[in-house]
Amino acid sequence: MESNEISAKSIAMWVGAALLITIVLVGVVKFAGSKEGTPGENPIVAGLVPVSEKDWVRGASTGVATLIEYSDFQCPACASYYPLVERIVSDYSDSVRFVYRHFPLGQHAQARGAASAAEAAGRQGKFWEMYRLLFEGQSEWAGNPTAEKTFESYASQLNLNMEKYRADVTLSEVQDIIQTQYEGGIKANVNATPTFFLNGRKLQNPAGYEAFKQLIDAALATSS
Amino acid sequence: MPPLQPVLKKIGWALLAVSLLGFIDAAYLSAKFYLGETPTCFLLKGCDVVTTSSYSSVAGVPIALFGALFYLAVFVLSLAFLDRRAPKLLKWIGAISVPGFLFTLYLVYLQFFVLHALCIYCMFSALTSTTVFVLALIGMRLLRRTQVNAV
Repeated sequence: MESNEISAKSIAMWVGAALLITIVLVGVVKFAGSKEGTPGENPIVAGLVPVSEKDWVRGASTGVATLIEYSDFQCPACASYYPLVERIVSDYSDSVRFVYRHFPLGQHAQARGAASAAEAAGRQGKFWEMYRLLFEGQSEWAGNPTAEKTFESYASQLNLNMEKYRADVTLSEVQDIIQTQYEGGIKANVNATPTFFLNGRKLQNPAGYEAFKQLIDAALATSS
Repeated sequence: MPPLQPVLKKIGWALLAVSLLGFIDAAYLSAKFYLGETPTCFLLKGCDVVTTSSYSSVAGVPIALFGALFYLAVFVLSLAFLDRRAPKLLKWIGAISVPGFLFTLYLVYLQFFVLHALCIYCMFSALTSTTVFVLALIGMRLLRRTQVNAV
C-alpha cells in the first residue's frame, strides 16, 4: 500500500519535471527569438540630431527615407549588420539616404581609434572606403593593442597620404567630431550598437535582410 | 527505502532548483547562438565580445550547449536522488560537478584576463555551477558521516 503511494508520488515527480523542462525549453526559444516591434509604432525621437553637412551621408541625396545608424567599428553586431546596410544602400540608392554616426562603446578599446581612422580617411575623401575595410577586417584588429598599425595598413591600401593620415588621426578636431556624435547618440537614448533610426523613429534591429527591407518599404510607403 | 536525512533532502531540492536555473540560462544562450543572432553591443557590458569570441564555441557547438547538458544531467540526477534516495546518485553529481567547476574557472579566467569583457549570463552560469559544486561537496560529506556513524 505504502509502496504504491510512493511510486505514484515519484511518477508525479518525474512527469512534473519533464513538463517543467519542456515548458522551459519552449519558453526560452520563444524568448530568445522574440523581439521585432511593428514599424511605425515607435515614436519620433525628439533628441535625435538632424542630418547636417557634418554627417557622413550616402545614397539618395534628397532621400525620401533617412536611415541613421549609430555604430561602433569594434562591435561584432555592427559588423554583422554591415553587409545588410550595404545591400540596403545599393538596392535603394535612389530612395534611401544613409547616415553613419560614431558611437564607440567604452568596453571596446580600439573603437575610438577605428573611428579616428575612418575620420582621417574621410579628410582625404575616403571615409566609406575605410569604413568597409574596418568592418570587413574587424577580427584582425579588434582586441589587438597594435590595432593602429592595422589601420595604417588600411590607409596605405587606400593610397592615402600617410603623413597627413597620421597627423589627422590624432587631431583634436577629429576627436571632437567623434565625441559630438557620441553625445548626440546619448541624447537620442542610444544605449546599444547598432541602433538604427528610420525617418527619426528608432528601429528594433531587424533579424535579417528581408526584415530590414520590409521596414524600409513600410517607411517609404508612408512617407511618399 | 530508507528515509532521507532531512538535510540531504534539502540539498537534493537545492541542487534541483539551482540546476534548473543554470539550465534556463545556458539554454537561452544556446538558443541565441543557433538563431544566429549577434547580441547588440550594450553600453558598459561585454556580452557581445564574450558570446561572439572564438572561445564561445568548439567545432561549431556553442559552449553554452555543453553547459545546458551539464545542468540537465545534474537536474535529472538530483531528481533521481530525491526519488530513489540512493547515495551513489549524489556521488555522481559530485563527480560531474568537479569538471563542471574547473571548466567554470577556465571560462571566468578567459573573461577576466583574455577577453577583458564580462558576460552577465556567463557569470550567472559560473555562480550556478559553483553552487552545484559546493552543494554536492556538502552532500557527500554528510553521506560519509552518516555511513561512518552506521558502522
